[in-house]
Amino acid sequence: MRVLTWLLLRAGSAAFMLLLGSLVVFLLMHAVPGDAALAALGDQASPDAIADFRRLHHLDDPLAMQFLAWLRGALRGDLGTSISLAGGFSTASLIAGSLPNTLFIGAYALLLALAISITAGSIAASRHGRVEDVLATSGAIVTISMPDFWLGYVLVLLFSLELGWFPAYGFTRPGESFLGALHSGFLPALAIAVPMAGIFSRMLRATLLETFRRAYVTSARVMGFGRAFVFWHYVFRNALIPYVTAIGLQARYLLGGVVVVERVFGVPGIGSVMVDGAFARDISVVQGCAVVFLLIVILVNLLVDLLCGLLDPRTAA
Amino acid sequence: MSAAAAIPRSARRRGPLGVLARNRVAQCGAFILVSTLLLIAGIVLFSPYDPNDKDYMAILQPPSLEHPFGTDSFGQDVLTRVAHGARISLLVSVGGLVLGGLAGTVLGMTAGYRGGWLDAVITRIVELLYSFPTYVLALCLMLLLGYGASSVALAIGLVYVPNFARLARSMTAQAKAENYVTAARLMGQSAPRILAREILPNIAAPLLVQFSAGLGFGIIMEAGLSFVGLGVQPPTPSLGVMMADGKDYFQNGPWVLTLTGLSVAWIILGLNLLGDGLRDALDPRLRDR
Repeated sequence: MRVLTWLLLRAGSAAFMLLLGSLVVFLLMHAVPGDAALAALGDQASPDAIADFRRLHHLDDPLAMQFLAWLRGALRGDLGTSISLAGGFSTASLIAGSLPNTLFIGAYALLLALAISITAGSIAASRHGRVEDVLATSGAIVTISMPDFWLGYVLVLLFSLELGWFPAYGFTRPGESFLGALHSGFLPALAIAVPMAGIFSRMLRATLLETFRRAYVTSARVMGFGRAFVFWHYVFRNALIPYVTAIGLQARYLLGGVVVVERVFGVPGIGSVMVDGAFARDISVVQGCAVVFLLIVILVNLLVDLLCGLLDPRTAA
Repeated sequence: MSAAAAIPRSARRRGPLGVLARNRVAQCGAFILVSTLLLIAGIVLFSPYDPNDKDYMAILQPPSLEHPFGTDSFGQDVLTRVAHGARISLLVSVGGLVLGGLAGTVLGMTAGYRGGWLDAVITRIVELLYSFPTYVLALCLMLLLGYGASSVALAIGLVYVPNFARLARSMTAQAKAENYVTAARLMGQSAPRILAREILPNIAAPLLVQFSAGLGFGIIMEAGLSFVGLGVQPPTPSLGVMMADGKDYFQNGPWVLTLTGLSVAWIILGLNLLGDGLRDALDPRLRDR
């Protein structure tokens, strides 16, 4: 019962956050200079046409009414219409078409970063102060220092242009061919994953080292349990909680990186949609994308909280 | 245990400069930074080329003795442009971090010291800012303010407000319970004075570490925004603008993008090493980016 209350509270505060965030994005976008009617109809539009457009889209209503109208639409899955794309694409369909690609690349990158960092962090911590540790630690700080999109081009230079193993540009949608998506998405995912892995493995190494020093670890060793057993059952699991929390804190950087890296590799994701929208000053598209991005980060953090609660039931109580 | 107590006494007495004299990692970072900054200054002052000198007889030349980083599609010397670009990127990043650091610290210290509803409100705002992906926040702001170097600096500042605010809030809340703060209050000092004269000096070190770590990411953000074309605009030669230019003829002249990015990574490596060294020496528990 307590867990359920905690869960509801947590979900409620996440929903509140999303609402507040949508309002902030809405106000920001409304403060953007330029007239939406002029942008949609062109400079030659007659005053009557502009007045009609403004009435049709409720642009003369009070801001609060406009926000409520937008919110009501958003709850029904209607985020407005793109003004920059011919044929009046709805923003929701643009996002629905591109979001799976972004989620795929993001999850792919996260998995790669987890795999690299768990290996590197564990090795560095258990070989503390030796060659492996120095290598892993210096490797981590070098990778953190690289801009991810630049790393993307270096990977293209190496793996596409020199070796020809992966395509340099373009992305097969996971819906069309999952294997194709794994193949064509590898370089963009790796470009995002490598700097992330640097951050994650430093974090894991530090928490592992801290846990190694705990009295219960020493007593487990004294009781005669093997090194590997103690590592997995006593050290690793306890070090996981700060590690998982750290991953949640990195969500904003991870998704931020996706926006730019999608451009490098021509991945038709929501980041590309947002950047194109920003170029065209397409307010409804930028607004919709920003809210969806916010939703993803909030959901990730909710998930991290749940996971931490599972790993350590004391935090949920 | 409070933040101030966790700082080794020797480090507290020595301050950041004293730490530099002992910590190898920080020394390494400081060496990279100072030597690179001197090199940049030397190139800006003494390079035989102007960053906007176009030489159409020498376009897209690979690195050579005459042009150590080669030339770009206009025959401009890439090394000279990198030096000028680094100056602009560093300025934008420092400007952004100063803005974000000031705003975040003031917000965080106020929230931590006052507590109550003000704390709740500020914490919510900070949490909300922290929930936006970095570039998404920056993109919205660029639309609002228009593209250009000063907007990029503001965007970097806004992205970093929550980092400083969280740090300042938790440390201020801890410091508030310390005897020296109670003593200051009993002596009748005003809240702003206590915050500025008593608490700030005691929590400044971790904030400085956050500042030096943030500088690196600020440079990456400037580069990323300018790279997609929504940041600093050409012909201003920021590092991101040059990398965006280099990507257009990446196949014919990969050195422009590769070497520019390598310079970016080198500067950030120096900043990260310096930040790491300072952090290890001042407060081993600070691990957030």
